[in-house]
Amino acid sequence: MPEQLLQQIVNGLLIGFMYALIAIGLTMIWGVMNIVNFAHGDFLMLGMFTSFWLYTLYGLDPLFSIPICTALLFVVGLLIYRFIVSKVMRGPMLAQLVVTFGVSIFIANLAVYLWTPDFRLISKPLLSGTWEIGSILLSIPKTVASIGSIVTSFFLFLFLKKTKTGKAILATEMDREAALLMGINTERINSLSFGMGAALVGIAGAFLSMYYYIYPQVGGLFSLIAFVVVALGGFGSIEGAFIAGILVGLVQTLGGFFFDPSYKYAIVFLIYLVTVWIRPQGLLGW
Amino acid sequence: MRAKGFIIVLCSVLLVFFLAVSADAQQKVIKIGAVYPLTGNIASTGLDCKRGVELAVDIINGKYDLNLPLAKEEGLPNLGNAKLEVVFADTKGDPRNGMSEAERLVAQEKVVAMIGAYQSSVTKTASQATERLKIPYVCSDSSSPTLTERGFKYFFRVSPHDAIFAHDQFMFLKDLEKKYGQKVSTIAVLYENTEFGSNVGKEVNKYAKELGYKIVADVSYAANATDVTSEVGTLIKSNPDVLMHASYITDAILFTKTFKEMNFSPKGIMTFAGYIEPAYLPAIKSDGNYIVIRSTFALDLAKNKPLVGKVNELFKKKYGIDMSENAARSFTAPFVLADAINRAKSTKPEDIVKALLATNIPGDQVIYPWQGVKFDPKSHQNIYARGTLVQILDQQYQTVWPFDAAAAKVVWPFPAWKGRK
Amino acid sequence: MQRLTTKQTSSAAVALILLIAFPLLTENSTAHHVMILFFMFAMMGVAWNIMGGYAGMFSFGQVAFFGIGAYTSSFLLITYQVNPWIGMIAGGLVAALVAAAIGYPCSNLRGHYFAIATIAFGEIVRTHFNNWKLVGGAEGLSLPMLDGGFRDFMFHSSKLPYYYIILAFLLIAIIVCYTISTTKMGYYFRAIKEGHDVARVLGINVAWYRLVAIMVSAFLTAMAGTFYAQYVLYIDPESVMLLSVSIQLVLICMLGGAGSVMGPVIGAAILIPLSEVTRIWLGHKGTGIDMLIYGFLITLISVYQPKGVWGLISAIGKGKG
Repeated sequence: MPEQLLQQIVNGLLIGFMYALIAIGLTMIWGVMNIVNFAHGDFLMLGMFTSFWLYTLYGLDPLFSIPICTALLFVVGLLIYRFIVSKVMRGPMLAQLVVTFGVSIFIANLAVYLWTPDFRLISKPLLSGTWEIGSILLSIPKTVASIGSIVTSFFLFLFLKKTKTGKAILATEMDREAALLMGINTERINSLSFGMGAALVGIAGAFLSMYYYIYPQVGGLFSLIAFVVVALGGFGSIEGAFIAGILVGLVQTLGGFFFDPSYKYAIVFLIYLVTVWIRPQGLLGW
Repeated sequence: MRAKGFIIVLCSVLLVFFLAVSADAQQKVIKIGAVYPLTGNIASTGLDCKRGVELAVDIINGKYDLNLPLAKEEGLPNLGNAKLEVVFADTKGDPRNGMSEAERLVAQEKVVAMIGAYQSSVTKTASQATERLKIPYVCSDSSSPTLTERGFKYFFRVSPHDAIFAHDQFMFLKDLEKKYGQKVSTIAVLYENTEFGSNVGKEVNKYAKELGYKIVADVSYAANATDVTSEVGTLIKSNPDVLMHASYITDAILFTKTFKEMNFSPKGIMTFAGYIEPAYLPAIKSDGNYIVIRSTFALDLAKNKPLVGKVNELFKKKYGIDMSENAARSFTAPFVLADAINRAKSTKPEDIVKALLATNIPGDQVIYPWQGVKFDPKSHQNIYARGTLVQILDQQYQTVWPFDAAAAKVVWPFPAWKGRK
Repeated sequence: MQRLTTKQTSSAAVALILLIAFPLLTENSTAHHVMILFFMFAMMGVAWNIMGGYAGMFSFGQVAFFGIGAYTSSFLLITYQVNPWIGMIAGGLVAALVAAAIGYPCSNLRGHYFAIATIAFGEIVRTHFNNWKLVGGAEGLSLPMLDGGFRDFMFHSSKLPYYYIILAFLLIAIIVCYTISTTKMGYYFRAIKEGHDVARVLGINVAWYRLVAIMVSAFLTAMAGTFYAQYVLYIDPESVMLLSVSIQLVLICMLGGAGSVMGPVIGAAILIPLSEVTRIWLGHKGTGIDMLIYGFLITLISVYQPKGVWGLISAIGKGKG
C-alpha cells in the first residue's frame, strides 16, 4: 500500500509539472494584459501538431523540435496579438474574452480543415519506456517533460527577474499606469508577453506530443485545467501557477486513486473553490 | 429607435435562413436521411460511418457481381431502377441536433427513411423525432440496448447491442474454461462515463452476478482525460483476472500506453469499441497486441466468406484503407432499407414498415457471421445479430471466438509487457 | 436605464406581432426549431444578464442551473408523475436554492476568480450528475411520451405550441429584467458592478443584492431547462450540463451587448441562426468549415464592435435621434 501511495504521488507530480508548464504562459498573458487567453489550449495543440509534422515529414524527434515549436508559437502569438488582440485592449472585458474565444474556435477548426479530425500519435519517439527505481515506475517521456518544465520555469524566472525586459514585464504586470509613466513601451511588452506565453505552451506541446495523442480538440481539457491552475495560484503570479500546477496534478491523481476516479476532476474544482473561499486572491496572488 | 434597429436585424436574420433552409422538393430518386457526427470531437468516427454508407449506396445503385441485396441490378428494380440518394446531416454529437436534423431531413429534404446516428444518445432523439413523424428508421451502428426497448413502431435495429456484446464476453470466458481449462473468477470493469460506457458497465455487472463472477473494481472516467494513472492504479490495486473496458478511441490509446507504463497485465484485457477504430493500431502499433475486442466485423471473415474480401477490395479502392468495424456496421442499414423498399414497391412509410417486418435476408448476403437479418416483431431487433471476439495478433484483428469460427487461436493469458518484442 | 418612450414601445409591439405571426407564415419546421432555440437562448441570456451585465458577476456556469431545472422536472415527472408545469416551478426553486448556496461563499470573489469559480461549480455539478444513478447517471433520462396537450407540457404534431410557450417565457424574462433595471434594485446592481467598495459606502447590502441577482437568474435559467426537456424528451449530463453551453451564453450576451435588456436577445438572434445555418449548410462535409466561419465572424465582431451589436444599434439610434 505505501508503495502504491508513493507511485501515485510520483504520477501526480509527473502530470502536475506538465500542468505547471502549460499554466505559466497563461498566467503571464493574464498578468500583463488582463486577458483570458481562451486560445491557450489551441496553442498547445499547434505545438503538438508542429512536433508531429516535423516527426512525420522530416523524421525529427520531438525532443529536437522543441526550439522550432518555441520559435513558431512565439511568432504565432505575436501575430495574433498584433493583428487581433491589440485592437480590443481598450474595449470592455467581455470583448477581450470573446476575441480569444473566436480565435480559439478558428484555430481548432482550421486544424480540422487542414489535418482532418483523425487522431495521431508519434509512434517511436526517442524517449519512450519506463525507468524502474525500486518498485516505482517512472514514464521516461513524462519525467523528461517534468524536467523540461522545471528548467523552462527556472529560465523564465531568471529572465523576468534579471533582465531589463523581464523586469519591464513584471512592472507592467504590477501596475500598468506606473509602468507607462516610467517610460516602458507597454504595447511592446504586451506583444512580447503574448508571444512568450504562446511559446511557453508550445514547448509544453512538444513535450506532450511524446506520449499523448494529437488531434484538433486536444487542447480542451488541458486549457480548462490550466485556467483553474492559474486562478488557484493567483492571476499573474508565475510562482503561483507553477506551484498550483503541481498541486492540481497531485490532487487529481491522489483524489482519483483514493476516492473515485470518476470524480477526480471534480475534486480539483472543489479544491479550487475551497481555496478561494479562504483566500480570494488565490495562493500567491495579490 | 433601439427597437427599430432590433426589428431590422431580426427580419434580416429571419430572411437569411428562410432562404437557406428551404430546399427544392423535386424527387426523381429515393431519398434517405443519414444523421452522423461529421464535425466535433467524434468526427473521425462519424466520417468513418459515412464511408460505409456511401459504399453501400454505390453498390445498390450500380451493377455489381456481389451476393448482396440489390447489388446485381442498378438501383431498385421494382421501382423502375430508381436510385437511392443519401442526404447526410451533421449532428455534432449533440442529441438536440439529432432531433432537429432528423426533422429537417424529413420535412425539407423529404426523405422516406432514416439511418444513423452512431452515438446512442443521438439515435434516441433522432428516432424519437422519426417516430413522431411516422418515418421508418433503420439503425445499424448504435449499441445501447434501450433503443429497442421503447416499443417504437418505426424503429429497427440490425446490429447487436451492448447486452449481447457483454453476454458474448462472458460466454467466451465460459468456453475458455471448458476448452482450455483457463479459469477466471474476478473481473474489473472500466468504462468511459457517457451513455455507451455506463450502459456496458451496467450489463457487465449484471451478467457477472448472474454467471458467478466477482466484480473487484468498477471504474468510470472521462474519455478525454489528460491522464489515467489513478484509474490504472485503482485497477492494479484490485488485482483482477480480467479487465473489461468500454472506451472510445482516445481513451483506448491513452489506457494502452498507461497499462504498459504501469505494467498492468491481467490474464485478459477484453474491450468494447474504441480498440477497433481504424486509428488505434496505426497509433499504438505493437502495444495493442493480445487485446481482445468485441466485434461484428473482421477482415479475416473473408476466409469463410469471400463476399467480405470482395467488399473490402471495393472499399480499399474507393478510400485507400481497409474497411473498419464502424464502416462495416453503417454499411448494412442502406441494404436493409433498400431491400424493404424494393419489396414494398412503394415509398410510403407504412408500406416500408410492413416490408421491414417481413425482412428475411439470408446469412450469405451479409458481411457478418450472422444467420441473416430478421426482425423480432415486437422489439424490432435483428434476432440473428451477434458479435464475435477478435484479438489483435501481430497488429492485425483476428477472429478468435466463437472457437469453431475462429481464424486464429486465442493467446491467453495476456503476455507480460516486459518479455515482448 | 430610462423608461421606454412611446416610440420604443410601439416599435417593440410591432416586433412582437411579427414574431407571433412568423410561425403561421411558414410551415418550415426547421425554421420553427431555430426560432425556438433562439428564444430559449435569448431567455437564458437575459437571465444571465441580470447577474452579469447588471450586477457584474460574469457566470460561466449557468448551464448547471439549466440542467438542474431540466433534471428536477423530468425526474419528478418520471418517478412521481408530477405535472411538468409544477415540476418547472420546483426546478426553478431548487436552482435558486443551489445558486444561493454557492453564491454566498463566492460573493466576495472578484472578476476572474468568480468566473473560474462558476466554471468549477458547473463542472462539479455535471460530474456528479454523470455518476448519480438515481437520476440516470450518464444514461440520462428519457421522458415518457404523454398524450400531448397544454396540461402535459408536451406536443407531438406541431412545434407551434412550443414556439409560443418559449416566446412567452422570453417575454417574462425580459419583463423581469426590465423591472429590475428600472427600479431601485437595478441602481444597486449597477453600483455593485462599479465596485464593491463604492456600493458599501452607499450603504447597500452588497451580499444580499448579489444573492438576489443570482437567485433570479438561476430560476429563469432553470425554467428554460424544463422547457428543453419537454421539447427534446431526452436529457443527459452531456447535453444539458456542458460547459460549452455556458460559454455560448456569455458569447451571446457579449455580442449583443451586456448591460442592456435587449442585448442578449440580439446576440442570440445573430449567433443561434448563424451556428444552426452554418452547420446545416456546411457541417455535413465534415471539414469544420462551418465552425471556421463562426469563429471568424465572432472574432471580427468583437474586434470591430466591442460594445456588442446593441452598442452599434443604439449608436445608430442616437444618430438618428
